Amino acid sequence: MEKQKIKMAVYWGAACGGCCVSVLDVHETLFDIVAAADLVFWPIALDTKYEDVEAMPDGHIDLTLFNGAIRNSENEHMAKVLRAKSRVLVAYGSCAHMGGIPGLANFSTKEEIYCRVYDESESTLNPDKSRPLVACEAGEGVLELPEFYNDVRSLADVTEVDYYIPGCPPQTERLVEVFTAIVTGAELPPHGSVIGAGNKAQCDECIRKKNAHKKITKFNRPWEVTDDGETCFMEQGILCMGPTTRTGCDYRCIEGNAPCRGCYGPTPDVSDPGGKMMSAIASIIDEKESGPIDEVLDGLVDPAGYFYRYSLPVSFLRRAVPRNR
Amino acid sequence: MEKLRIGVYVCNCGTNIARVVDAEAVAGFALSLPNVVLAKTYRYMCSNPGQEMIARDIKENKLDRVVVAACSPNMHERTFRHALQMAGLNQYLLEMANIREQCSWVHKDRTEATKKAMALVQGAVLRVEKHEALESIDAHMCPNVLVIGGGIAGMTAALELADAGNKVHLVEKHSRLGGNIARVDLTAPYFYAARDLLTDRVTRTRNHEHIQVHLDSKVIGLSGYVGNFTANIAKTNGTPEKAGNPVAVEIGNVAICTGYKEFDASRVTHFGYGKLPNVITSFELEKMLKAGKVETREGKMPKYVAIIHCVGSRNHEFHAYCSRVCCMTALKYAHEIKSASPNSYVSDVYIDMHAFGKGHEDFYKRSSQAKTLFLMYDRENRPVIHKAGPKDDCEMLIEVHEKLSGEHIEIPADLVVLMVGMEAREDAKEIAHLANISQDKEGWFIESHPKLEPVATTTDGIFIAGTCVAPKDIPDTVAQARAAAARILARIAKGKIEVDAIYSEVNEDLCSGCRFCNDLCPFNAIEYVEDEKHSHVISALCKACGVCVAACPSSAIKGRHFTDEQVLAQIDGIFAEVAYDQAEPVS
Repeated sequence: MEKQKIKMAVYWGAACGGCCVSVLDVHETLFDIVAAADLVFWPIALDTKYEDVEAMPDGHIDLTLFNGAIRNSENEHMAKVLRAKSRVLVAYGSCAHMGGIPGLANFSTKEEIYCRVYDESESTLNPDKSRPLVACEAGEGVLELPEFYNDVRSLADVTEVDYYIPGCPPQTERLVEVFTAIVTGAELPPHGSVIGAGNKAQCDECIRKKNAHKKITKFNRPWEVTDDGETCFMEQGILCMGPTTRTGCDYRCIEGNAPCRGCYGPTPDVSDPGGKMMSAIASIIDEKESGPIDEVLDGLVDPAGYFYRYSLPVSFLRRAVPRNR
Repeated sequence: MEKLRIGVYVCNCGTNIARVVDAEAVAGFALSLPNVVLAKTYRYMCSNPGQEMIARDIKENKLDRVVVAACSPNMHERTFRHALQMAGLNQYLLEMANIREQCSWVHKDRTEATKKAMALVQGAVLRVEKHEALESIDAHMCPNVLVIGGGIAGMTAALELADAGNKVHLVEKHSRLGGNIARVDLTAPYFYAARDLLTDRVTRTRNHEHIQVHLDSKVIGLSGYVGNFTANIAKTNGTPEKAGNPVAVEIGNVAICTGYKEFDASRVTHFGYGKLPNVITSFELEKMLKAGKVETREGKMPKYVAIIHCVGSRNHEFHAYCSRVCCMTALKYAHEIKSASPNSYVSDVYIDMHAFGKGHEDFYKRSSQAKTLFLMYDRENRPVIHKAGPKDDCEMLIEVHEKLSGEHIEIPADLVVLMVGMEAREDAKEIAHLANISQDKEGWFIESHPKLEPVATTTDGIFIAGTCVAPKDIPDTVAQARAAAARILARIAKGKIEVDAIYSEVNEDLCSGCRFCNDLCPFNAIEYVEDEKHSHVISALCKACGVCVAACPSSAIKGRHFTDEQVLAQIDGIFAEVAYDQAEPVS
């Protein structure tokens, strides 16, 4: 008797599409996936309508991979619908996990973003200062647009999440491992776990040489030094988020001689990834007086954006406090 | 999980807290918080009845967490931990809210201060919920001791320790034992021969079955922690720079008795030391006295001898401190010179006469009756020595602005003795680095408390005694050496060391071996395990400062009793709204 197929959905919130592409990156394994799963909803590939999903009974879908952050009311609505319809809801990728790159918009307010996009951008002519409306009366009836929120949130901020698969995007191998585990009915980790990633930081796998006397006297942008390809990036003054970031990506960036940007998110016990990394960096700056310390710190370009690149919405900060302009 | 049962105790501290903070209202507020089953105020919570009340409540009300809102934990955390222990509750299930130093003492507005006290209590309650029962650990105490320095202090300590049956390694960098006292003839004020004080000790030290004397040697490495040090001792063969292959010895404690060196008199140019042949230092005079002959460089018996005090001491140019032994030594010289050459004239040129020790004032009195000419000079107006003219019947003339008479006086001298003070040895810095102890601005080793812990240091297991700590005389040096030995013997007798339960620990399942922490620990408590590629905190060495906890980028290092969870809960509690008006006061 043919084994019953599982029902699977892939959906995007505020996302770039990279996560959906990472699913396609399974290449020929896709045939195995299709053999084991019916894809019931996947906007990038299938023409299933929202009404079709809303019409499904609760718990109808076995596995939903939700990628992207929650930027607007449409993202939030679909997050809640898919939660109800799915037995297992996975926050897939950095944006669903921690807010991701779209989460950096929390350094601005909704109005600042609108101002830039609808008034100031070089290609825009908008003398009436028109703004998107949630509802607009037209001859044919009321036209609606999703509401653009002031804050970007992670998936778990709006609904209950069963598992998190980190990465920007997640490594396809990790997806296959998780998928296989679910299909074969292997014992799943505790509810709320990060899966498809290790518990230790990148340095555990990184083969670059690490010194006991780890000190920073100057921060360098990657182009400012000739990387010897062997020494720990931090020891060359190049910021690398590896020391605070989970393994699981096979340290591809570092292997490609680029420092880690932290997309796999913090190791399990880190309360605040950006804060933790700043605290760590501050500990190894090799200056004692405030003047020279300031000089070293001046070499840090956009520290908030660097340290919270993927995690601002889930950090203690959550967002920048709006400035009075 | 069963609900927690927290007791909150708000202290009035007499009126110290109650004058500004409404303690009853704070207790009433505490009672409104989740999991708080009991809240009380009391006049002095730290008193015996206060502590007994807490202990009784823990038993009768089955409390499993306690918050005491009172003074700084620096003051009474230990007291209240003890109260928990009395009731059989783990002592770490306590949290203190400091509503005195951080509240009542620094605020005037009663309403605002009371609100703040409530916020602090709320923080403490939320924090204590996250507390864990912690157990202190025991570490081995090696009974062997390393004594550095073979002078009177080092030998005294070594003999005391060895007589109690402990193995002692005594390291002396010179080729013989005795230190500075071996350079002295008689001692003040009773004229005991230094030789007599030393001979017996040197012999006993050398022959003692439990003492291994390492002469011509120095300690070149010291690793480990209290109870479990390894010292590397190397032969210097007279040239300390060329240390040979070291031997490693296991020891549990260290007594540092490295002594002093005398001030270099040639640094005070106007006394002409090194230029005028008959200007000598006190140690050079001791050499003459030991040889039994006081004479000038030309071999003549000096008719006029002048002794100048405070050379290098008690002035801002060299050392501001008093070297403590020179005044009595100078009086001793006056006696010795007088008895060697009864017709000589001795003048004693001093700033103040410091005669504070036992029998010293008496000695001063006797000396002043022995026809010594005492001349007082001002420390900012030092005597000047120059060569006498051909018509004078003396070698040199000393100009003194005599302070008591106000006269400008010129006195004759054939021999001038400079009372050189004590100063820290050049290699004290090396020792300090080796043993991880501190030096003050003059280079003396710093004790962990100047009054209550005179021979202990901030590094556990490292003790200091004698003139490496500060200038002192022989009785004080011997007392300190015995004190250091007693402290060490007490620890050896206990057989183990209790390590406080609050320390950092590395979760090896999370440590990625990034090595951020490796070079940061001020107590050298962190080691890197090369084979397993992770770092490790030696809990016995850790003082729980938290530097490595802050530095660990992956939160693999945790400060026990100071976890993120605990600290964040406390912050949440402090910043949460306080329903000030709704609290029913508790009396």
